[in-house]
Amino acid sequence: MSSKTIQVAKYEIVRQLKKPAFWAATLLIPALIGVLYFIVFVSSNGVNTEPKFDENTKIAISDEAGILSGQVPYLTTESKEQNIEKLEKGELDLYYVIPKDFPENKKAEFYHISEGLEVFNNDGAILKRILSQDVSARVDDLDALVLTGEYEVTDHKLAKDGTDANVLGKAIIPLFVGAVFFMFVALCGNRFLLTVVEEKENRISEMILTSISSKHLIVGKIVALLILGLVQITVLVVPILVMVFLNRDQGFLASILGMIEVDPLAVTLSIILFVASAVFYAGMCTFVGALVSTARDASSFIGPAIIAMVLPLYFMQMFMATEPNTIVQVFTYFPITAPIALMLRNGFGTISVPEFCIGTSIVIVSAVVAIRLAVKTFQKNAINFGVAKPKFMRKR
Amino acid sequence: MKSMVEVNHFKMAFSGKTLIKDLSFTVGKGEIFGFLGSNGSGKTTTIRALLGFYEPTGGELLMDGKKFNPEDSDVTVGYLPEERGLYRKETVMDNMLYFAELKKLQNAREWILKYLKRVGLADKADQRVDKLSGGQQQKIQLGITIMGDPKLLILDEPTKGFDPINRRLLMDIIDEHHAKGASIIMVTHYMDEVERFCDRALLLKDGTARAYGTIKEIKREFGGKSLDQIFVDVYGENHEQ
Repeated sequence: MSSKTIQVAKYEIVRQLKKPAFWAATLLIPALIGVLYFIVFVSSNGVNTEPKFDENTKIAISDEAGILSGQVPYLTTESKEQNIEKLEKGELDLYYVIPKDFPENKKAEFYHISEGLEVFNNDGAILKRILSQDVSARVDDLDALVLTGEYEVTDHKLAKDGTDANVLGKAIIPLFVGAVFFMFVALCGNRFLLTVVEEKENRISEMILTSISSKHLIVGKIVALLILGLVQITVLVVPILVMVFLNRDQGFLASILGMIEVDPLAVTLSIILFVASAVFYAGMCTFVGALVSTARDASSFIGPAIIAMVLPLYFMQMFMATEPNTIVQVFTYFPITAPIALMLRNGFGTISVPEFCIGTSIVIVSAVVAIRLAVKTFQKNAINFGVAKPKFMRKR
Repeated sequence: MKSMVEVNHFKMAFSGKTLIKDLSFTVGKGEIFGFLGSNGSGKTTTIRALLGFYEPTGGELLMDGKKFNPEDSDVTVGYLPEERGLYRKETVMDNMLYFAELKKLQNAREWILKYLKRVGLADKADQRVDKLSGGQQQKIQLGITIMGDPKLLILDEPTKGFDPINRRLLMDIIDEHHAKGASIIMVTHYMDEVERFCDRALLLKDGTARAYGTIKEIKREFGGKSLDQIFVDVYGENHEQ
C-alpha cells in the first residue's frame, strides 16, 4: 500500500474518531441493547413464569367428573359459589373445577384473584400436575413414566452418508457472520456514500488531486472506512457476546450454544466472503458517491443500496432447500445479492465448495471493478461541483 | 529556455460545443506566465486539461515533456484553483497538516506555524475553517499551494477578493517562489499584476491565442497601448466582466 494511501486512511480515521457523531452512532445500539436487557432483567423478577405450588398454597378442586382418586388432598364437596367466595375472602389461593363433561370437552376451569396484568401466570398447569400425579400413582413406574412424559428424546440428525449432520449447529457461526455483515451494511452505508462527496461539496477535489492520484485517495478512504466499520461492529458485537457468555447456562441459550459445531472450512469461507463483501459494498457505495455531487443526492441512494444487498433475506426459506431453485441461483451469482445469498447458503450448508468459490470470486471481481469505477468516476466528476449527477437525476 | 509546460494544438469540446479550437503555447522554466482572457474564454478549462481533469478533444498538454500525474511526475505542482475550498469542519492546522503529509513536507508543523504567522493567522491555527472569513481561507489555500516549494505554481485569480495589503503580501510570496526558480502560471484580470510580474502572456479569445509573447511584444502588436486598453480592445465592450 502506498504511503499516500496510508496518509489518507490515517487522516480519515483520526478525524472520524474525533467526531462525537461517530461515537454517538457507534454506542447507540449497544446502549439500547443494554437498556433493553436491564428492563427485561428487572421486569422478569416480578413475572410469574413458574406455577406457585408449595405446602402453603391453599388449593381446592371440585371433581364433578369424578376422575380423581380419593387420595388427592384438595378435593372439596362445597359448591362452586362457596369456593369462589372463599377465594374472595382469601381463604383459598387457587380453585379448580373439573366439570362433568370433562371427558368429552377436555376443558377444566381455574379461578384465582387477579394480581393485575398476568401475561405469564401458569398456575393453571398445577391442575395438570395433580391429575398426572394421581393417575401415575395408580399404575406401575414404566406406565407412569410414559404418562407423565418425563423423559427426553435425543435428536440425532444424520447426513446422507450416515455421519452426524447437525445442520443447525454448523449453521450458527456462518449465520452469525452473515448477521454481522448485515449490521455492517446498515451501519456503514451512509458513510461510504458520503466519503467522496465531501471533497466535491467543499470544492477541494482540484487541490487534492494535484497532490495525490484519485486511485490512492479512493483506496485510502475505503481502507479507512473499512477500519472504522470494524471498530463499530466490534463495539456492537462484543457486548452481545459478553451477554451470551454471562447467560450461557440459561435454558434456550444453553441448548443453542451446546449445538454449535465449528466447521473450520465453513468458518474460513465465511470470513473470506465477509471481507470480500465488505470491500465490494464499500466500492459500490463509493462509486455512487463519486457519481453524485451533494450529500443529499447521495443519501437518496442508501435505502435502495441496503435493500439490494439484503434482498435474499426476504427469500430465506428458499435458501434452506438442498436443491436450489432459479431465484436462489440468480441471487447466488448476481454481484449485489451474492454476498448475503452465499452467506445464507453457506450457513444452511446448501452450497458446495466449488459453487461457493465461484460466487466468492464474483464478489471479489465485482469489488475490484467497483473500486476502479469509483476511482475513474471521481477523477472525471471531481470538478463537476454542481452538475455531477447522473443524467436520470438531473432536473429537466 | 527549456519548457516547463507545453501545449500543442489543444482542442476541447463539451457536448459538441467547441470551447478551445486550437491552442498552443509554452511556459518556460522559471518564467512567470500571464494566462489572460475574459470569463468563460477557456482559461480554467485549459489548466484543468493540463492537470488531467479533462481529457482533451485534440492535441497534447505536457508538463516537463510528460502528461501530468501527481504521483509519477518530476514536476511538483502547487495549484490554487478558481473554485476555493477546504475541509470546512476541520481546523486550519489539520487541513494544512493533511496536505503537508501528502506533499511529504518535512517539519510540516513548524513550516505551517511560520506561514500562518507571516500571513497574520497565527492565532487561527486551531480554529475551524468555516469560522474564518473568505480572505483568511484564501490565505490558507495559498499556504497549501506553495507548500514544499513546487516547481510549477498555477494560480487562478490568486488576488481575487484581497485588500491591497494582502494583495501585496501575496505578490511578495509569489516573488519569493519565482526567485527560487519556480515557474508560475497566473490567471488574473488585474493587468497591473501582469505588467509587474509576467515575463510573457497569452490572451485567449474564441478558443485561440489572440495575442502571445512577451509583454513588450504584445504591447507593440497593439500599437503601444496599455494592457488594460488591449484587454478592452480584444474582448470588446460586451464581455461579461
